[in-house]
Parts: sequence; structure tokens; C-alpha cells
Amino acid sequence: MTDNTNDTEHKHSAAQDASQAATQTTASQTKREFHRTGRMTLYVRRFFRRPSAVAGLVLLLILIFFALFGSKIGKWDYEELDFMSLGTPPSADHWLGTTAGGSDLYAMIVRGLGRSLSIGILSSLATTAIAAILGTAIAFFEGWFEKVGMWLLDMLLVVPSFLLIAMIVRSSAGTSGWLWLTFGLTAFGWIGYARVLRTLTMSLRELDYVHAAKFMGVNPFRIIVRHLVPNLGSVLIINTVLGVVGAVGSETSLSFLGLGIKAPDTSLGTLLNEGQSVILTAPWVLIFPSIVLILLTFSVQMIGDGLRDAIDPYSRSGGKAE
Amino acid sequence: MLKYIIKRIVNYAVMLFVAVSMTYFLASAFMDPRSNYMSRHPQPPVESVNRSLDNANINDQTPIIIRYLHWLKNVVTKWDWGLAPDQSPVGPAVASRISASVQLVTIATVLSILIGVSIGVYTAIRQYKWQDRALNVVATFFLVIPPAVLGLFVAFGAIALNNAAGARIFFVTGLHSYEGSNPWLWFVDFLQHIVLPTIVITIPGAVSYHLTQRTYLLDTMNADYVRTARAKGLTLNQAIRKHALRTSLIPTTVNIAFSIASVFTGAVITETVFAINGLGRYFVTTINNNDINGATAIAAFGGVCTLAGALLADILSAWLDPRIRLS
Amino acid sequence: MTMFFRKTKSTNNSAAQNQSPKRTAAAQGDVVLSVRDLHVSFASEAGTVRAVRGMNFDLRRGETLGIVGESGSGKSVTSMSIMGLLDSNAKVTGSITFRGEELLTKTDAEMSKIRGDGIAMVFQDPLSALTPVYSIGEQMKEALVIHNPGMPEDEVERRSIELLELVGIPNAKERLKSYPHQFSGGMRQRVVIAMAIANNPDVIIADEPTTALDVTIQAQVLDVLKKAQRETGAALIFITHDLGVIAGVADQIVVMYAGRPVEQASVEDIFAHPVMPYTMGLLGAVPRPDRDKTDRLVPIPGSPVNLAALPTGCPFAPRCPLAVDACRANEPNLEPVPGRNGQSAACHRTREILDRGLTFRDVYEVGKGVASKFAGVPRERRAVVLDVQHLKKTFPLTSGGFLRRKIGEVHAVDDVTLDVREGETVALVGESGSGKSTTLLEIMNLQQPESGSITLFGQPVTKGLKRAQRRELHHSVQYIFQDPMSSLDPRLPVYDVLAEPLKALGWDRKRINDRIGELMELVELNPDQVDRFPTQFSGGQRQRIAIARALSVNPKLVLLDEPVSALDVSIQAGVINLLEDLQNKLGVAYLFVAHNLSVIRHISSRVAVMYLGHIVESGTTTEVFEHPLHPYTQALMSAVPVPDPIAERQRHRVVLQGELPSPTERIAGCPFASRCPLRLTLSEEQRAMCDSQPPALKQWQPDHVAACHFAQVS
Repeated sequence: MTDNTNDTEHKHSAAQDASQAATQTTASQTKREFHRTGRMTLYVRRFFRRPSAVAGLVLLLILIFFALFGSKIGKWDYEELDFMSLGTPPSADHWLGTTAGGSDLYAMIVRGLGRSLSIGILSSLATTAIAAILGTAIAFFEGWFEKVGMWLLDMLLVVPSFLLIAMIVRSSAGTSGWLWLTFGLTAFGWIGYARVLRTLTMSLRELDYVHAAKFMGVNPFRIIVRHLVPNLGSVLIINTVLGVVGAVGSETSLSFLGLGIKAPDTSLGTLLNEGQSVILTAPWVLIFPSIVLILLTFSVQMIGDGLRDAIDPYSRSGGKAE
Repeated sequence: MLKYIIKRIVNYAVMLFVAVSMTYFLASAFMDPRSNYMSRHPQPPVESVNRSLDNANINDQTPIIIRYLHWLKNVVTKWDWGLAPDQSPVGPAVASRISASVQLVTIATVLSILIGVSIGVYTAIRQYKWQDRALNVVATFFLVIPPAVLGLFVAFGAIALNNAAGARIFFVTGLHSYEGSNPWLWFVDFLQHIVLPTIVITIPGAVSYHLTQRTYLLDTMNADYVRTARAKGLTLNQAIRKHALRTSLIPTTVNIAFSIASVFTGAVITETVFAINGLGRYFVTTINNNDINGATAIAAFGGVCTLAGALLADILSAWLDPRIRLS
Repeated sequence: MTMFFRKTKSTNNSAAQNQSPKRTAAAQGDVVLSVRDLHVSFASEAGTVRAVRGMNFDLRRGETLGIVGESGSGKSVTSMSIMGLLDSNAKVTGSITFRGEELLTKTDAEMSKIRGDGIAMVFQDPLSALTPVYSIGEQMKEALVIHNPGMPEDEVERRSIELLELVGIPNAKERLKSYPHQFSGGMRQRVVIAMAIANNPDVIIADEPTTALDVTIQAQVLDVLKKAQRETGAALIFITHDLGVIAGVADQIVVMYAGRPVEQASVEDIFAHPVMPYTMGLLGAVPRPDRDKTDRLVPIPGSPVNLAALPTGCPFAPRCPLAVDACRANEPNLEPVPGRNGQSAACHRTREILDRGLTFRDVYEVGKGVASKFAGVPRERRAVVLDVQHLKKTFPLTSGGFLRRKIGEVHAVDDVTLDVREGETVALVGESGSGKSTTLLEIMNLQQPESGSITLFGQPVTKGLKRAQRRELHHSVQYIFQDPMSSLDPRLPVYDVLAEPLKALGWDRKRINDRIGELMELVELNPDQVDRFPTQFSGGQRQRIAIARALSVNPKLVLLDEPVSALDVSIQAGVINLLEDLQNKLGVAYLFVAHNLSVIRHISSRVAVMYLGHIVESGTTTEVFEHPLHPYTQALMSAVPVPDPIAERQRHRVVLQGELPSPTERIAGCPFASRCPLRLTLSEEQRAMCDSQPPALKQWQPDHVAACHFAQVS
């Protein structure tokens, strides 16, 4: 979608006009291929030109690594309780201190980070997939299907989804709790997003090449898969990435309220909940998980912003004329 | 005109009815009020448990459809939203908490609009300059901080400040603690309470208004009509202020209208952190207490807020934008 | 009308005094604006784009300077640098002086004092040029008050009304309260012109002011612009790609290519004896609306230049048939042409061109056409491929925005009757909103029409059509879109683009492979390039790919919706030639929609004219162009600008009053009655007939029908 705005929208200024003409003719030098810049190369180049995006990417990779292998270097298991040190500050034995119950905070954070990450990534992926399919379908099959679909979407948005998720997750505990939480976040998270995608698809379905495919008798499903979904691709990627931030936020909020992940399992939100009660006596229980959480959401946000800037045709990351 | 607004309200009423009914069924399926009684020590006799559950119309041994019809009849005919598992009525419980939430959210909403929109305009005009970049980093930082972390840190900081000052400057629980009749002292006391939760709600709100307003303004700043205005003799800043800004405020106004729904949703975390007895905290209580009727009532209230916001948004945009104004 | 300005000046004393120094400084004939060695560059992904490279000109009071060039030639960037409206990432050097003051060193605040007062501008797209949330009155007021602070309220209103009346907006007083969306495109452009002349500027810059408008509206707006110039005595810079328009408007012409002026002369000299091969090519590539087709068009070979990677030497050299080594080595300067007063050209080979008296026919290769498969077969003996009778199509009209209620019906196509036979091109002509495209889409839909009938190859399109039959028809009728940029999925390589219709037919891989090779050769593209993406081709090449895709399934009828209007002039000719050759080779029939009457006169054998959903006239191309019967056709024909300044000046133009009525209205009589110049000459009774009885298509001449009660056969 974003790519096409290049061609279909009004050109905004003479400057852009000229530079667009230049990039187009650059691409058109089919015989002498000396200055061609492919779309992906362009995106990658623009993405890596942003220091914050690169920093975000590095940070996220470190966090993922930490979540996967952090337990290998720790001395304690997250389920192990050290009754000799209850609520002790960081020390050589417990690097980040212990909770009031005697759990090693380092082990808890590694475990909690893994949980929060998997919930965030899984539910964001699932949300995007459901929203993409339903959103495009509602827009593509016009007529009564669209009317009914839109009414249902609006109806589902009436009740705050936070409440419904909390209701579902509340009744589940134990090790499968995080799956329920992922399910809940997905089941009620796709609705608003599907509406956005429907609006985008509405403009896509009026594209000439979609009409062209219709006129040539190509079947509708093929048109959706071949022409519509790839067009939404960039939007989907960006929103999946940024969706992780939202999902992690919802997860921690619910867990913090005591409605999400519960002991014996743990997540960053659950740790915050624990930290709240000992905010004055053992502040490290609050501070360390908070830092990890902020690093996580911040890095993902940086990546998402970098992607958006790289894909946006009107981005000014082209630099200045010499 | 009136006819179409009525038509729309009727449509919204149907939506609300379906959505609330759906919530009722979901709540009944996922909540287990029986467990409240069964986990008591000593365990009460089954008949007495059933009696209590029947009295509140939440007995899982009664077919769901019968419970639903009973509930619906009471809501429609008597405006009776039912009882919680502990036999306290739900309706008055919700009503008594609305005021606290409204106090909290209104101040914060007004502040976040003022701060957020101004920063949005300021940064859009300075796109890619250092002010824009710096404020954008700040915004991104606050955008990604989960509300719980923000709330806890603000509370933590306030306690540290109180300790450092050796006096209670900020209260971290509740909205009022003054019991006398001096209005000035009452007001100061209220301020001491409200400042912290207001900060916590204002920051994310302001950040989101900042970022959206910046985008809207950037979208309109490149429009042809801004160029026309400059060609007439307006300076760049005049053209942006008079032409781009005015157009870009339309979607912001619509967003503000939609934010009415946050009276319910926006404050759950904040109310929990600062122990304020508002709707958000009540919502957590209903979930934790397997309070089917309470949760449904909260959903209904949230739904009304959402739809009122949507209706207001429609009316406002029709009023502000001559392109969709009705002749 | 000179009264008009004297009056304003005396009533508007303070403003006149403010302005008096500039008025005396720039008497008639003085240079008001002079551009010297202007260079503009921008940063882009592909490198630095050198949009303008050494622009020079002087503009005199009262004079009209035409700047002509294709997209990317730097003409708009030049105008934006004069206005000081370039993006901040532009780097501008050189000098622009206005009434002796240097403009390039001025700040935005200083420039804003000049913009709209000394120099005013009219933009291309009137639909987006006015702020949607302010009324016309508020926007007019702003234009006046910004340069005349303290102008009293009633004076502002009086002057606004005066200006709107000057540009021909009826009911000006009431219209001040209207919002831009309540105006048509032509009306909005008038408002923009009114704002531009509000402060009696010395220079008006018009950047493609009529490109977005229909032909008859274009004629109106050009008239308004000329009138505005006359009234203000301003100099006009008219920027356009349309040689027909420029021929009738400009005194002096600058032709731009790749950011540089390549030829400069009076309008007569440019059109009569161009020197620079690029100018010759541009003129030769344009078909004439006022003459029958005699020859094939002469395209300029190659693709437009890439501003980010300019070749060394003359940027036109890679496309120039006369280029020699010297041209590729260093870039020629704009120098006076020996023996020609006031004409200069940037070409190393000026001397040879003059000595040998070369014209574009000598410079460019005029290709040979292909003989038609149906040559010699009279029309009556050819099979009918498409027969449309009284076709009708309505859309429900919903109110915009919030309360979407149905408030009426749009009668997009009301009564269309036409037939297309084997191997011929029928053109459907009309202005936007006349229902041309809807007619094509209705045929393409292959559904039983709301009313009337569509018959394809003798098979009526009805509900009862079997699936297989419909599929069969799908492949016999194909469609070509206006914009090849949007009709090809940018994510698919050309191979997949071309394979799509063949796969839908169920062909196997081998057969598809062979066919694609064949197709690429058919449209004169290199078959080795099938792995490239559409964006890697130029506009003309992309349209060739779209043509190849349409022809891949061997259709018998192709519907073309403005197939060349998105292309640059120098590219257009090649595509038109290709379409002709393919028709002759394959015997396919075209139903061709275009608003460019020159193209239509060149390519089609028959013409049907549409107005407000009705066919009002049809016949052979020569008949309709030479002896139009319907008053609308007459007006349309006279509004078409001719790329010939002498012919242009001698032409009598029927400028239509008013605008296209809304297609939601039900008109009892003739749909054209409200604007008809002929009706004004009729008697009361005859007028009553026009107003009450819709005229049917009636045969006035052999093979020439028109829907008019009182058409005059000349």
C-alpha cells in the first residue's frame, strides 16, 4: 500500500516531483543497469541509516539471547527458594537480589522475560494474521457480507476488550495460564486492527491492477493472495512489530493486577506486582524487572519506527543536497 | 437530521444490547462464583451455597438461558443489575464509583490534550530538527513504559520526596483525607491526592496526542492548499497555522470524543496503584470475586461510554468539516 | 474593462499609494523579472537530482513567456524557485531579480511580502488548491488583507465580488459563502485565478493551469487568464507540456530538457522552424486535431533522461539521431541561431541543421506502417463485434460522511447506442462525467445491463449466460487502463504479469512460455527482460506491457481507457503507432476512450460524442471533425487547441457557457439545452421543444447521426 502512494497520490511539491521523476527514470534504465536501487536494498539501507533502529535491533537480540540462555549462567532456578535469604539486596550469590519469598530475582527475570516475550510475539503474530484475513475479506467481498462484517466489528468494539480478556484469563492458572493469556489477547485484540486493514483494502480494491485481474477472470481468492495481501505486507510487518509492544503492555498490566500470569509461573508483570508490595523495603524487586521491561518495549518500538521510516515513501531520510 | 441521529441511536442500542448479552454469557461461562463459597473454611453446606447463588441469580445449576432471561427482565423492568456473590447490589456499587473516576480522568484528559496537541504542533513544524527528535525520543520512551511501571515509579518517587522533605507533600492513596469543612483546606488536600494519579494518566495521553497530532499536521502541511496560501503571501508559519493546523485538528477532535470511553478503561492501573475507589478498581474486584453481574454492569457502562463517544465524534466531525456538513 | 481598475485604484486609495512605486518602476515593456544561471538540486536516494541546470530568461511587462517541457524537465522547479516555495532540502544558486531586487537571498518573511502581491501563482490541480475548511469568501479575504492590512470589511467584500465576477463566477455574492467542495474544478481554478490577481501583480505564474481540466473548461479558463493578464497588465509565465495550448497563449517560448533551456524563440519561430532536434521531435510527435491523418506519427526514440545520472555532454544526445561525438563530449550552450532574430538553441549541430534546412522528417525516422488485414473490406461487410443499444447505468447517490443516506441517483450512462466492427477503431469522446468510462466498465462487466442491451460477437449479454460462455467472452474482450503505473502490480515481474490471463485460461507452462516470448516481440520489447519488474521500465514501455497482457489471449475487441494520456508527448507517438500496427496485423477492434481529440482524430475511424450519459453524435472521424452537426460537438471541436500559433489566432472559438449539469438531475428535454449556443438563436416554440422533448439520434447525412432537433447541415 505504502509503495503505491508513490504513484497514485498527488505529488506534493516540485522537489518531490523532481526527485520522484529521478528515481523512476533511474529504475527505467533497463539497458544500462548502473544506478538501479532495488526496493529491498533501499529499505534495508534506510533502516540501517537510523542509529536508533540499529540500536533497537541489537538490544532486542541481546534480550532474546538473555531470555533463551540466561538461565544457563545463573546459579539458581526460578522455582528454587532460598530460605536463607528472603528479600536480600543484590549480592554475589544473588546477582539481582531475592524476592520476599526467597526467589532469585535474576532467575525470575530471565523466566519472566521469556514469558512476556513469547506472549507478546505470539499474540501479535496471531492478531495480525486474523485481522489481515478478516479485514481484507470484509473489504473485498462487498455487499451484505461487508455490511454484516462491519456491524459485528463495531459491536465487538463496544465492550472494552480489556475486561473480556481479564474474564477469560482469570479462570486459568498454572502452567497453561500463559497460553490462555495469549489466546485472550488475540481473541479480543484483532478487532480494531481488522477495521484499519479493511479501510486500507478498500482503497486497494480500487487499484487498476486489481480491476485488471478481475477483468481477466482471475478468481477472487487468487486476487486476495496474489495482489492484495502482498500490498498490505509492509503495513502488516510494521504493525506486527509494534503490536508486540502493545501485547507486552497488556500482559504486564493484567499480570500486575493479578489477573494474568500467576505463580508458580512468572512474567515481568507478575514481578511488578510483587515489587509493588515491597516498594519501600526491597526496591530492587521493582526496579530490575522494570528496567528489563522498558528495554524490551523500547527496543521493539525503535525497530518498528525504523521500519516505518524506511518504508514510508515521503520519508526525508534521503539527507540533504551537497 | 434528527431522524438520522435517532436511527443511529437505535442502531447503537441494538449493538449495546448484543454486546452486553455476549458479555453476560462469557462471564457466566468463565466465572465460577460457587468456588467463592466452596473455598471458605469451614465449607458451608451445599444447600446454603445454592440458596445464596440462586438469590443472586448466578447458580451454575440453573440453565444459563433462564438466568439470562431473569437478569434481563430485572434490568429492563426494574433497572436492577443484580447482586454480587456476597449479596450486595451491583447497581449502586457502580454508581457510587463513577464520581471518583470522572474526577480523576477529566482533569488528566484536559491536561493531556493541551500538552499533547501543543507539543505535536511544535514538533511537526520542526520536523527532523533537534527539538523534534529529542521530544520524539521522550515520547517514545513514555509510550513504551507500561502503565504499571509508570504508576509505581511515580509513587516511589513521591514517597522518596516526602521522606526527603520530611513532610507529607503527596498522598499516594485515595482522593480525599481531609474531613473538616474549610473549603480551601479541602481543596489543598484534594490537590495533594490528585497530583500523582493525574501525572500517571496524563503522560501516556499527552504522548499519544503529541504523536497523532504531529502526524496529522505533517499530512496536511504538504497539502496543495498550504502552498496556495503561501503563494498568496502568507509566510510558511502563517500558512501552517491558519490552513494546515485547522484541518489537522478535525481528526484530533474526533479522537478526543472517542476518549470518553477512557473514563472506564484509562484508569484501571492508576486506580489500583493509588488505591482510588473508582470504576477501574471495582472492575478488578468483580473479576477477582467471580462477580458475574458486576462485570456485566461494568461492561454495559463501558459500552455506553464508547458509543456516546462515537456519536459525539460523528456529530463533531460533521460540525467541523464543511465537506460532510449536512445542508 | 479598463474602467475597472481605475475604479478600484481610486476607491482603494491607501492600497494604490502603497503600490505606486512598483507601478512606475515597471512600465510596459520593461524587464520585471530576470532569471540568470539558475541551478536547483535536491538530494534523493538515487543521488543528487539536478532539477534545473542553468536557466536564463528575461520577462517583460505584458508579455507571456511559455515554458514547455516534459515531466522532469525542470519547468515546475523553476517556477517554484521564483516563488521561493521550494522544499528546504533544495539547493538553489544563481540569481532571480524581480524589479531589480534579488529574490534568492530573501527570507521567507521577506518573500511573503512579494508573493501574492508582486508575483502571483496559479497551480495545476484546482481540486486540492483551496483549503477545504474555509469558505471562498474567507480565502479571498485572506488574499486581500494580507497585503492590505486594515482594508475595511465592506471594501474586502466589494473587491472579492468584483474579482469573482471578473473571472466569470455567477452569483458572486452568494458564492462567497460556499465552500470549495461545492465548486467544480473549473470554478475552483477561476477562484484561484481571482486570488492571484487580487493585488494586481506584475508577474503571474501559471503552472499547467488547465491540465486537470476538460477541453471546453480549458478554453474558458484560458480566456479568463488572458483577460486577467490584460486587466492587470502583468507578465505571464505559462508552464505546460501541451504544445497546442502554448501556441495560442505565449509570445515567447523556452523549451526545456533535462533542467536546461534548449531552445528559446518567439512562438512563431518555434513552431515554424525549430532548430534543436528535441523541439523538432516534440512538434512532430503531436497529432493535429485540425487535419486528417496523413502519416504515421514520429516518436522520439529512447527514454526520458535520468536527472540523477546525467550523461556527459548533451543530455539529449542518447536520443538524438543527429548526435555526433562532440555532442557526447560536452554540453552545448544556448547560443543565438545565426540569421534568426531572437532565436537561440543549445545544439552543436545548429549550423548543419540550418545549412541543410533540416526538418523533423529529415531528422527522425518515419517508420513504415503495416497494411490492415481488413484493408479494402467495406465497413458493411465486416462483422459486428460489439453492439450496444440504449445502455443505461445508474448509481445510488449517498450523502457524504456521517449519515450515509441515499439522496438520489446518478445517471452515469443514460442512453448509449453504438456498434464496433472488426478491425476498426471507434472513439468515444466526451468530457469527464460524460459517462465514457462507465460505458466501458459496463461492457467489461459482462452482466445484463440495467436497461438496454449489450451484444458481443452476436451473443447478447444476459443473466442466462452460462459460465463457460462468460469465460469465453472474458477472453475475447480485453481492457487497457490509462495509467500503466497502476495497472501493473509492481510486485510481480513482467513474466507473471503476462502469465496471469493465460493461467486463468488454464494453459500449460510450455505454452505460456512460448506465448510470452511472442508477446514481448509483438510489443517491441526485449524478451530477455521478462524477469524485470514493471517499475524498471519507463512509462511507455509499461504501457506496452499492458498492451501485451491485453493481447495475450487473442481478444477480438479491446477497450482502451485513455491509453496514452498518462504518457509524455515524446513517448505517446510510439505507443499510438504500436496500437495502429497491432490492429492492422491482428485485426482486433478498438473501442477507444480519450479526451484528447488530436489523438482521436489520428487513430480512430469512427467517433461517437458523449454528453451527460447520452451519445449526441456519431459518424466517421472526418465527417464529425469537419462537419460537426450537434452544437456540443461544434463547441468541443472549436475548443481544442491546435499546435500552430497562426491557425490558433485565426480560429473562431465557441466558448460554452456554464458547466456540465449534475448527472443527478432529471432533464426533461435535451440534456444540452442549458448550455446550448444554438438554442439561443431559436424561436420560442423551438426552444420549448428543446426543453421538453429529448432528441433522438437522427440520420442527417449518410453515416452521420446526431441527437439534435435543429442541427444545421452545412
